Amino acid sequence: MRSSTWLRFLVPSSVLIIPLWMLVVSTKTYAIPAFSRQYQTSCTTCHLDFPKLNDFGKAFKDAGFKFPKDDADFLKVAPTLLGAEAQKQVWPKTVWPGSIPGMPPIGLRMNNFFQVTGSNRNQFNSLAAPGTVPPVIPGTDFETGFFSIFMAGNFGSDIAFWVDDDISVAGDNSAGGLGDGYLKFVNIGRFLKLPTDSFSIRAGQFELDLPFTQARSINLSPYDIYSQANIGAISSMLSTSQNVNNLFTFADAAKGIEFSGGHNYGGYHYSVAIIDQNTNGVSQSSNNNPYVPSATGGANGGVGFASNSTFKNVYARFAYRFNLERDSESRKAIQAAGTTGPRDHTYLSFGTFYLGGKSQQGLLGALPNGNPQVLYAREPYYRAGGDFSFNYRTFNLFGVYMYGHDKNLLPVDASGALIPLPVGTTSAVPVGFVTSVPAKFNGGFLEADYLVLPWIMAIGRWDGVHSSADRINGLAFSTSTSYFGPLNSERNRFTPGIQFLIHPNIKASFEYQFRPKQSVFVVTDPATGVQQALNPFRVNTALVGLEFVY
Amino acid sequence: MKNQSAKFMFTALLVCAFAYAAALPGNTLSGKVTAGKGVSVVYVEAVAGKTFPPPTEHVVIDQKGLLFQPHVAAVPVGATVEFLNSDKVAHNIFWPAISGNKKLSHNMGTWPSGQKRDFKFDAPGVVPLLCNVHPEMSAYIVVTPTPYFAVTDADGSYKIANVPEGQYTVSAWHEGMKIQSKPVKVAGDTTTDFALSK
Repeated sequence: MRSSTWLRFLVPSSVLIIPLWMLVVSTKTYAIPAFSRQYQTSCTTCHLDFPKLNDFGKAFKDAGFKFPKDDADFLKVAPTLLGAEAQKQVWPKTVWPGSIPGMPPIGLRMNNFFQVTGSNRNQFNSLAAPGTVPPVIPGTDFETGFFSIFMAGNFGSDIAFWVDDDISVAGDNSAGGLGDGYLKFVNIGRFLKLPTDSFSIRAGQFELDLPFTQARSINLSPYDIYSQANIGAISSMLSTSQNVNNLFTFADAAKGIEFSGGHNYGGYHYSVAIIDQNTNGVSQSSNNNPYVPSATGGANGGVGFASNSTFKNVYARFAYRFNLERDSESRKAIQAAGTTGPRDHTYLSFGTFYLGGKSQQGLLGALPNGNPQVLYAREPYYRAGGDFSFNYRTFNLFGVYMYGHDKNLLPVDASGALIPLPVGTTSAVPVGFVTSVPAKFNGGFLEADYLVLPWIMAIGRWDGVHSSADRINGLAFSTSTSYFGPLNSERNRFTPGIQFLIHPNIKASFEYQFRPKQSVFVVTDPATGVQQALNPFRVNTALVGLEFVY
Repeated sequence: MKNQSAKFMFTALLVCAFAYAAALPGNTLSGKVTAGKGVSVVYVEAVAGKTFPPPTEHVVIDQKGLLFQPHVAAVPVGATVEFLNSDKVAHNIFWPAISGNKKLSHNMGTWPSGQKRDFKFDAPGVVPLLCNVHPEMSAYIVVTPTPYFAVTDADGSYKIANVPEGQYTVSAWHEGMKIQSKPVKVAGDTTTDFALSK
């Protein structure tokens, strides 16, 4: 069900919320100091500019958080065996008993931010409803970021694990929540006599195998296309209204199981994941259904397995990376052999991805005979796209294009007439749905990273989202708000940035977000008398981040 | 009488031989370096008018387990060092300077696991070995101007054998410490201690 209250809150606050929200999302970035301790090696063994992985870091991750060859030779802290080596002779066809890391593989992270918002930020004040106080948008603002804990490693037998959690957010003891938490059974295909590394299984909560990670992005602000939900535009022309209210985004962690194979440092790589559908944004912990008994909650429901996942989504990705060195030995190696030392390959990679699912919205309606009935609009949706990456030495150019499509079902009353959205207590009683204009969006990003020096990273990035209902702009909602909802709008920005590694574990980052459309064009709706902004309005912002991991 | 004369001659020859042996090479320069953890290098500085042939033996420095092994080595000028990569990861060796002289910087590049590359050190000085993909890795080669040098043991004791009698400048080096040099007169077995500081 569409929550108009929530939308009313979101829309006028969007200018305030967006930058803070960007901080929240963007800071889900992790490097693993625990590995530094275990192997007594620098962050730069695996990272270019943490958390961005170099080719060796990709191989380390592919191998299940261990050195791809002779891992034991590199460990400076010996693992604790969960049974004598000789136990393997008792159970020769099992992975029993395995090991745990010799020291708890814990890493901690803290970050702080400073934000400057453009001087015309207060132009939104003119849109505040009469008699209301417009939101305060400070010109400059210090923001406490995240204090997070993360743990990762390998239990031996090619079983890897990862858990990260935000302990404190924005200086409060609020639960930032679990980021990723999973077990990965690496190269499990060996039991089926499949080629090495051709089949692995990951289960738990994890970031989907996106073309370019959001969770381990070096940018302060997230990729707009990964944060793009698909919320329909409400139009005065009923036939073009959109009931879609799909809050799924790629930026969110998914719960489920993933099958994958190949390598990220050369050749093919694929993944197929079956995940919970989560289109209304309700977390499992918030879903206290009193009627559904759950294994971990009370007999009459509670926190447990009663998620809102009526359907399962399927995500699939395939990519191929061509390493371009002439020397075949260098081309196949994890890192290329350079005249001045090993380095990342010169490569060109292409990939494609697809996610298919079905969102569900419930409405209080009635059967044709008049009996009350909860009606469900089950709207199939998909996201599809492609990506490329070109790397030359320490210069990396990469981009993603994505297209989103949600089927749109509009409620109709007993006479078959469309019911104006949003459906409320005074609306006609819906008895069914008809298919209408689908909600679509497309866009992507193009980014160039150049590691000028081992401790200076220059970044240039363009984000674009073309949407029939641009949620982030605060458009396209109820006619009772001050914002007009065009069926098409664009949201572009150019974000140059620079980052300095003060130490390999301390980073100062700066980025400036240019948003080309600055003006506010306000008119008064002749029908409602409500002021409306007819065009997108966005302020430029500058962000400074100071982050350390240890 | 003839036998007594022969005995005398033999004894005289023995005395002369011992005296010669004591007077020429055979002197030992020893002592202790106090400098904290790790080993130090003690060596005799250049001797005016004297040159020494380069050694024929090669010293090997290995890269294994993300470590240089050994961490400190000493070789005389003209020596060739073999750099081995025993790791299953790619490595690199470079040095940004030799005793602060950036003109002597050099990058050895990279080479596959199990293989090695040679380098002949023609200039004396301290060579800090680094790996540009594993910044935590480091080692030192002290290229000494004479073949009279020693790497101390863990407690700082050293012994340089076969130092000819004479007046020398003897230096001691330790990672992170200032080099200390002092005049030493070698006459027979000689003892000299060093106390290095930062």
